[in-house]
Amino acid sequence: MSGENIVNALAGLLIVTSLLVIETKKPSLSAILYSVQSLVLVGIFLTLAISMQATPLYIWAFTALITKVILVPLILYKSLAKVGNPDQPQAVLSPSMSLLIAAIIIGVAFAVVTPFHLQAIIKLKPALAVSIAHFFLGLLCILSQRNIFKQMLGYCLMENGSHLTLAMMAYNAPETVEIGILTDAIFAVIIMAVIGIRIFKTANTLDTDKLTLLKG
Amino acid sequence: MSENLLLWLLITPLVISLLAFAARLLGRRAHLVLEGLHVIGITLVLVFALGVVQAVLVHQNVQALNQWLYADHLGAIFVLIIGILGFLNGLYSIGYMRHDLRTGEVDLNKLSTYYGFYHLFLFTMLMAVTSNNLILMWVAVEATTLGSAFLVGLYGHKSSLEAVWKYVLICTVGVAFALYGTILVYSNAFNVLHSAESAMLWTEVIKSGSLLDPMIMNLAFVFVLIGFGTKAGLFPMHAWLPDAHSEAPSPISALLSGVLLKCALFVIIRYYLITAQSTGTALPQLLFLVFGVLSIAVAALFIFAQRDIKRLLAYSSVENIGLIVVGLGLGGVGIFAALLHTINHSIVKSLMFCTSGNVLIKYKTRDLGAIKGLLKVAPVSTFLLMGGALALGGVPPFNIFVSELWTMAAGVERGSVWLMAAVLLFLVIVFAAFLRLISGSVFGPAPAGAVKGDVHWFTLLPIGLLLVLMILLGVYMPAPLYELLKGATQIVSLGN
Repeated sequence: MSGENIVNALAGLLIVTSLLVIETKKPSLSAILYSVQSLVLVGIFLTLAISMQATPLYIWAFTALITKVILVPLILYKSLAKVGNPDQPQAVLSPSMSLLIAAIIIGVAFAVVTPFHLQAIIKLKPALAVSIAHFFLGLLCILSQRNIFKQMLGYCLMENGSHLTLAMMAYNAPETVEIGILTDAIFAVIIMAVIGIRIFKTANTLDTDKLTLLKG
Repeated sequence: MSENLLLWLLITPLVISLLAFAARLLGRRAHLVLEGLHVIGITLVLVFALGVVQAVLVHQNVQALNQWLYADHLGAIFVLIIGILGFLNGLYSIGYMRHDLRTGEVDLNKLSTYYGFYHLFLFTMLMAVTSNNLILMWVAVEATTLGSAFLVGLYGHKSSLEAVWKYVLICTVGVAFALYGTILVYSNAFNVLHSAESAMLWTEVIKSGSLLDPMIMNLAFVFVLIGFGTKAGLFPMHAWLPDAHSEAPSPISALLSGVLLKCALFVIIRYYLITAQSTGTALPQLLFLVFGVLSIAVAALFIFAQRDIKRLLAYSSVENIGLIVVGLGLGGVGIFAALLHTINHSIVKSLMFCTSGNVLIKYKTRDLGAIKGLLKVAPVSTFLLMGGALALGGVPPFNIFVSELWTMAAGVERGSVWLMAAVLLFLVIVFAAFLRLISGSVFGPAPAGAVKGDVHWFTLLPIGLLLVLMILLGVYMPAPLYELLKGATQIVSLGN
């Protein structure tokens, strides 16, 4: 099995894990599934590093392992423990509806990348399509879920999608760039978690539909 | 020398920010130390900002850190806005936060948080407008959200937490879209330039703009416009703006509306220039006109319907960002008008948000239904409010009128008479709304609970200075500013 095939297969696994993150009822379990998904992402980085002789991606794999497999899920898990990990409110979309939309997103993503002619990515087009689809699956999670922490996980999924696109299209960028983007991502999660906990303490809910003081 | 200026401009607010966070360890003495640090910080940033502007006027551009930092005439306008308004809103912050401290709305810890994040916020905005590295520019814009989140949610009320949640979520998601645009531009440029270092530098990418793949660049521009447009407050991505701008402490509302929106706009202009080199101006200008006119139209209706003074001002920012974008979309003189309007709106919106802060201090409400008899309660603040409201309504001889007139002229010159007529109609609605704001709140008897007598002079002084700037720019254009605008207009017009 060639490197490209492994990457494309692992990219498919990303989609499966993100659907699980979206549809799992307990937010803390979603956080664990997100960690699993990030491990798949690390696997893709390593495969790309070996098959494309892209040495910077070894470092990317390592930083992703520390931040996305361990740190971010840990922050989410601990924060959820602080608010008692309440069951999530009813999602806006039913699971079957979400799946249908996810399928459409993936189809569109494949159609979008077809005319791309950037040399480096030609053999990895399926993986590129998956990374873009993954980004929009994260957006779907934010729009279809009402639990603040699930919305946060939606952001994390989007971030994993753009991270993969970045790895395929800009892995040769200086290391400072990846550090900058990752720092932003981690601080975003920390800040969102702090706000989430404060909202729970003040409003006693994580349901965004119940945050309705500001209108018009 | 000028290279160092650019570095000092960034290092100063970062260091002051760290010191202000640390100052909470001092216990009860922290208050004075914080104010001292803050004054030193905003003054130095103003001095360095003016220094950078001066250097750009003399040398055309300034660079530092191996070209990772860069300021030309265009960038200098935004550095100037951050320097001046960071200073004046910072000065206003002192009196405003003293009041909050006295009334127990904040404690010393929160005060340290406020000043710490104030300077961190300045740092992130300065970084966004001086970064020549496209990816770090993105990082900086994302950091402005993170740096200002705790400022928006400072009071910790249920409503402010709701606002900050929407702010952080919508803006991070929006800016994530812009990351896609950034990656597309980078990998496209890498294919042409074959150097990772150059493919990230705006100054290098723009040179080979015509070699970039037009299809990818169009796609990238759409991503960038949606992404950074969210941050700039363009309709329909503006949903977070009225909440965040109204719930934040007033000096922060002033910075968000007056300065932050413009930083995002600056980044959009940088990408517009690359796209124009690659695919021409037709698509980006069309998108500017569509988003701009829609923003003006929707905002005008919301301004008219609004009964919360700070939300009204927030929607007025959406309207004004729309006007700026329309100017950019029109091209030609419109670009000059757009850049001038960027400066003008920053001044007037800071003036109005700070004055609304005074109103809030006196009336303890933002409800225009309850704010009556302002003239009797706070005469000086009333005078300032009337000036600002008339300016936002587009009345001559104030500065906003001048840039609006230029925008209209640009539209007519281009032959877009009907479009300009529509814009004018919405501006009339905005004018009516501000006239109603004045007539409803200034006159009449003061409510029974309101204590008569204006706020402390220290809280009035910075707004007075803003008023002077506003009137000055309405009747006179200082030569250095004209040079700056002319240079920047030339840079943006190269896209045509």
